Amino acid sequence: MKRIFAAVLAAVAMFAAGEAQAQKKTIVIGMGSADAGKLDPHIASTTPDKGLLQYMFNGLVRIRPGQISPDTIEPDLAESWTSNPNGTEWTFKVRQGVQCHSGYGEFTAEDAAYSLKRAANKATSSYSNDFSSVDKAEAIEKYTLKITLKNPVAGFLGYVANINGGNMVCKKAAEEMGDGFSKKPIGTGPFMFAEYQPQQFVRLVANKQYFRGAPMLDEIVYRYIPSDSSRDLAFQSGELDMIYGKQDQSWVDRTKQLAGVKVIAMEPGEMSTLFLNITQKPLDDLRVREAIAYAIDRKSIVAFKGAGTSREAVSVVPSGYLGTDEHAPLFPYDPAKAKALLADAGYPNGITVKSIHTTLTGMQTFLQAIQAQLKKSNINLDIEEVEHATYHAQIRKDLSPLVHYQAARFPIADVYLTQFYDSASIVGTPTAVTNFSHCNVANAEIRAARVETDPAKQKELWKTAQEKIIKAVCGIPVYEQLQLWAWKDNLELGYDLKGSLNLAPPITEKTHFTK
Amino acid sequence: MTAFLVRRIGFAFVTLFAVLTLVFVIVRIVPGDPAQVILGDQASREAIEAMHERLGLNKPIVTQYAEFLGNAVKGDWGVSMVSGRPVMAEVLNVLPWTIELTVVSLIIGVVLGVPLGVWAAVKRNRFFDYVARIASLLGLSFPAFVSAIILLFLFAIEVHWFPVISARSGSLGAWAQSITLPAINLGLISAAYITRVTRSAMLEVLSEDYVRTARAKGVPSGSVVWRHALRNALIPIITVVGLYLSILIGNSVLTEIVFSRPGLGKLIVGALNQRDYTMLQGMMVIYTLAVVVVNLLVDIAYGFVDPRVKLG
Repeated sequence: MKRIFAAVLAAVAMFAAGEAQAQKKTIVIGMGSADAGKLDPHIASTTPDKGLLQYMFNGLVRIRPGQISPDTIEPDLAESWTSNPNGTEWTFKVRQGVQCHSGYGEFTAEDAAYSLKRAANKATSSYSNDFSSVDKAEAIEKYTLKITLKNPVAGFLGYVANINGGNMVCKKAAEEMGDGFSKKPIGTGPFMFAEYQPQQFVRLVANKQYFRGAPMLDEIVYRYIPSDSSRDLAFQSGELDMIYGKQDQSWVDRTKQLAGVKVIAMEPGEMSTLFLNITQKPLDDLRVREAIAYAIDRKSIVAFKGAGTSREAVSVVPSGYLGTDEHAPLFPYDPAKAKALLADAGYPNGITVKSIHTTLTGMQTFLQAIQAQLKKSNINLDIEEVEHATYHAQIRKDLSPLVHYQAARFPIADVYLTQFYDSASIVGTPTAVTNFSHCNVANAEIRAARVETDPAKQKELWKTAQEKIIKAVCGIPVYEQLQLWAWKDNLELGYDLKGSLNLAPPITEKTHFTK
Repeated sequence: MTAFLVRRIGFAFVTLFAVLTLVFVIVRIVPGDPAQVILGDQASREAIEAMHERLGLNKPIVTQYAEFLGNAVKGDWGVSMVSGRPVMAEVLNVLPWTIELTVVSLIIGVVLGVPLGVWAAVKRNRFFDYVARIASLLGLSFPAFVSAIILLFLFAIEVHWFPVISARSGSLGAWAQSITLPAINLGLISAAYITRVTRSAMLEVLSEDYVRTARAKGVPSGSVVWRHALRNALIPIITVVGLYLSILIGNSVLTEIVFSRPGLGKLIVGALNQRDYTMLQGMMVIYTLAVVVVNLLVDIAYGFVDPRVKLG
């Protein structure tokens, strides 16, 4: 009897040991959305879709995994590149022997040229604007790509990096599948599309032929779990290895207390700006706009949002971007001055400003805090809450004199300045993007900087632009919200994570579980 | 019976047509733009307009409507504006999930609710009646997503009996494991509902003359309650169950979200948020059909329960 018992014990022990040694090869990621959108890298614009697509695609160059600064740009599908002195002709040497997923053949300069044209095409891309300066993209040899620009473009390499329109698709696959490409995206990245279950998950498998080497993980299961609490619970029960956090400080504090868990607040920070429509009364009066700027206390907003997950805005361009003036002359908090300015402008009893705003929780609590701050300076913020898509439609029709908008962009000052402050981007015009304030005070500097090839002069132009915009109070930058994620600490990412422009931590060929 | 069916199906078509037209117009009146949702907030006005053209949204609304009806008659509901996948395929993909959750939770509701209601009526104004009434009131007023979180916390975190992500995989065991918590969550609510209706229907019947007669002639008390009284109380109960079935299909959305299950509720909320016109139109057809079919089944069931009800 004893012997049998011992044998059973030994067997159990061996089984348990075997179980423990078998390394985990599948990572399950919990994303905070109900379902996948269009899984086409040239179309996808939401955090969940971009986060997933980055595992399948490469750019000609890439921002080093875990980094967000354009300074860390390194070779990806292109081994090397050169450009002429004024930056209008770029020649890329495409890496040889890279294979497209699912047997679509070798990736060559032909594919790269096709991909860029696809990304520049209004009909097939959300990012066609980014490529409006591209004159030609052609494969001059099998592995040589030449891009000709109509004019120099600030930080051009950023547009051919592994984000948005810079993601490289395989020509044969994209042509063959047409609209169906988003159902089975084909790229060259470390993981390949395998399966989609509506409202449940997308499953990717390792691309064993990946040019940087076969991934150490076998599979990524990207699960759609819209409820914050359910995602937390599933993470706690061990059903998920990595989760997109609820974007607030209390989530961080709570999650940090779990055993064996890593919580991170990563870049990029999404900056909250209050845009004031300078063409509408009473905001057309500079003194009124200045009053509003003086009435806002950035420090207490950061205290409210959580010091570990947010930080004060430094300029009208988020901090850390190429060209951001990190010590820009923002207005200090001074309610007395705000009141005096209002009285001076003919409003001794204060003013009322309307804002149409979304009901998304994180943004909502922010604007309510702003409302309370403005009240102290006799500024009554009248918030009209509408559902998110309605908000997006109405703020683009000049219906909201004060617009609160939260955004991160490619970290070059030009992108933020162009989209939010160049008069060409004013909402309602044919070239509209997101200039809600009708700002037009820094067009000259923004446009000159875009084509300036001397980095020092370019920085100076951007600095002047930021100063002018701040002075004219087109927008009042308030704070930046970092991206919150958590994962099991037995997961080794294989790089240092500071941030990700694709808004989810990269899973590379080196990512693995240590036990 | 045949004439009845033909008439009902005729009505169903009229209803369907009216609902479709309303939905078609309303979704387009509401502010918000599917092209903006698809392209994101960095897209230029030009790109948005190009997308309108691709989606056919630049055509006059009458043309759009005519095209939509023409395709609908052919059984083509188009593709989702946002995901690009066919509408009907998307709907049919998640429909089984919704049906199974609805059916299982309704069974739980009936199995618990009918006996509880009968018993509460028999023990009117006694201790058990009070317990049943308070419990059912609680069940009705408790938000589904709160009970769902509590269930998950107790049975998936404290004791690992069930998964947090309740989506089945393969075997019958896995299926049972994944449907239990969501079905209990919805089932308890419907049980509360059914208990109340059963109780009041029974109270009415129990005071009828024929029940007193049955008792007077010495029919055993159990038989009076279950055979004489309950049978006659069934009609209101069936009506309520039928009504509740259509409510359940719609109300399962919170349960679907918290238990991370696919389902129609989630699909329609997503389509609304994204202004996915084609998807919303397809969903409305399914909902309208579901309500029409359930009502039809209820009417037919009346005939079985009460021979006096003639369908015709």
